[in-house]
Amino acid sequence: MRARESVAVRRVDKVGDLLDRTGGGHGVTSSSSVIFRFVLAVLLISGAASAQTPSAAGSASAKAIYEQHCVQCHGLDGRGNGAAAPVLVPRPRDFAAAQFKLRTTETGSLPTDDDLIRTITYGVPGTSMPGWQKFLSTADIDSVANYIKTFSPRFAAERPQSIPAVAASVPGAPAANTVAAGKAVYEKLRCAACHGTDGKGTGAIATDLKDDAGRPLPATNLTEPWTFRGGATPQDVYLRFRTGMNGTPMPSFVDAANQTELRNLAAYVLSLGRKPVWDMTAEEVKAFYQAQAAEAARDPVRRGRYVVSTVGCSFCHTPVRDDGSLVDGMLFAGGQKWGAVPFGDFVSYNLTSDKDTGLGGWTDDQIKAAVTKGIRPDGSRMLPFPMPWPSYASLTPSDLTAIVAYLRTIPPISNRIPAPSRSNIVSYLWGKFQLLILKKDMPLLAYPGNAGSAGGV
Amino acid sequence: MKVRRVVKWTLGVVLVLAVVGFLAFLYFIPPFTLMAPETFSGPEIAAANAVKLEAITDPKTRALAERGKYIVVATGCVDCHAPPSAAGPDFARYMAGGLKNAVRGHGTFVSANLTADRESGLGRRTDEDVLRVLRSGVSADGGRLFWYRAMPWAWFANWTEEDRVAVLTYLRQIPAIAHKIPPATAEATITWDPTALEEGSTVDAGTTP
Repeated sequence: MRARESVAVRRVDKVGDLLDRTGGGHGVTSSSSVIFRFVLAVLLISGAASAQTPSAAGSASAKAIYEQHCVQCHGLDGRGNGAAAPVLVPRPRDFAAAQFKLRTTETGSLPTDDDLIRTITYGVPGTSMPGWQKFLSTADIDSVANYIKTFSPRFAAERPQSIPAVAASVPGAPAANTVAAGKAVYEKLRCAACHGTDGKGTGAIATDLKDDAGRPLPATNLTEPWTFRGGATPQDVYLRFRTGMNGTPMPSFVDAANQTELRNLAAYVLSLGRKPVWDMTAEEVKAFYQAQAAEAARDPVRRGRYVVSTVGCSFCHTPVRDDGSLVDGMLFAGGQKWGAVPFGDFVSYNLTSDKDTGLGGWTDDQIKAAVTKGIRPDGSRMLPFPMPWPSYASLTPSDLTAIVAYLRTIPPISNRIPAPSRSNIVSYLWGKFQLLILKKDMPLLAYPGNAGSAGGV
Repeated sequence: MKVRRVVKWTLGVVLVLAVVGFLAFLYFIPPFTLMAPETFSGPEIAAANAVKLEAITDPKTRALAERGKYIVVATGCVDCHAPPSAAGPDFARYMAGGLKNAVRGHGTFVSANLTADRESGLGRRTDEDVLRVLRSGVSADGGRLFWYRAMPWAWFANWTEEDRVAVLTYLRQIPAIAHKIPPATAEATITWDPTALEEGSTVDAGTTP
């Protein structure tokens, strides 16, 4: 259900969702609920067809739909520079660059309309791109696909070069010997250079991969097929080898291997897939978590990057512009000012490794004390907000060590952060009187801009 | 005469003490005194009191929920999803929502009720609806996007899908609390401080039936 599957399964998912909405409580999706959904879907298929979610924007222009649903990631001008874009991995697609990963066209070529429509309809697994079929009508999706094409002059000047129909339909049912043959292709094409000998990066030579815009883009972990951007059917995987993924280091192998070889390679890559936790038994889940912990201990920087990027440190520790967008290139440099009435103004600290103005001069223990106890290096204490250290107090010692290890790797940015400005005692007491006795609303205010010395936002 | 003087002085001292005491009370009353960090573990204790994971009979659900709990507590979901009060977050109504956050240009958002309540909580959402919010910030209500500074979904998008499912499993264990949350409104301006980008509130915006 989670990874992208065939259109038919997706439809069932959608019908299941519609049923769920009227149905009520649910556990985590399990295979039994899939069957349950499927049975109900078959029973009610005609009803579901008429229950197609009507688009709120049915008559709205494509531009209006784009601005309502797409701008936060892809940006007003389609450059993949929306407000939330700096923290998303992978970055949202830059439509102006017109480099599309998921195509049925030759390498370097533009995608077909159907390619764009497929991505908008079903989404991109392993990323934030959702499938919009539940919320937008097919007509809306068509018009948004056309609107996306207006961001790059390439669409007016070039025609997409579809791969030959015979090439597009190659994969058949994989047999045992195709997997073995595919392993030989994996070696021949040196897939291990990026994806590792085991498909999850072990022994990879190219560990510092970047996309065409120069941003870090880790190689896909081939043991987790539910994150395959283009889906995880043999056909989907084969197409990625055949067409390449424009804008990324993933090339097309059309000249390096024939169709049979690529089909076998797809079978081999899919044979590397492990069970996701939702399909595991209790024992397997526990063993998996233990293995993850051991891996985190081996590579704390990687674990720390994961914790920091998911907990949301950069939400506050990055300057924001007046429109609320994060300042790209200033991630973790601090400088967001928060006013906690009646306590005073607080500016988020510079978490980069800068010696003078960042964490470069702090010891590991000082960082840990600040994160989990709200104690600054000078011994002064933070309020339980805006820095939510009481929540971070529950971080495990190993995760704390990992976080510190990762923070040390953030390139230095000089941005001196002013000390908190406390309210004077009179307004402090008056504010607390209003808050506690008069029950007046005392706002927590977030200000745009960079209150640090680097300024310039 | 002497008695009157004693009474006068006594009353004066009592009055001064009362005023000083009241000011001291204002000064020190939590959460605005700084608790000893060694002893402060509000969010973790709140989670332990509210959700009894040891009661889960299915060992796999239990394992996933334990992982989800660690992520949810350390991420600080409760910082926004506890009902606010003048005395700080109301941890007793764990994850019942109601914290108002106004964002200039985007309107006013109220933190959702994440409890299992079928009427006002997460109990009315499908698994995929919840996962979609945590992955893409897309609301089940018409595909509207949560502004990422009201609901910081862009960071939760970086969870692996497996961790996201663990988070969902944990959220499903939170006991139901009926607490109706008003929908987001499209106010374009902020009322009390035009220089601020966002403003949180100390008043519970939800309603208990």
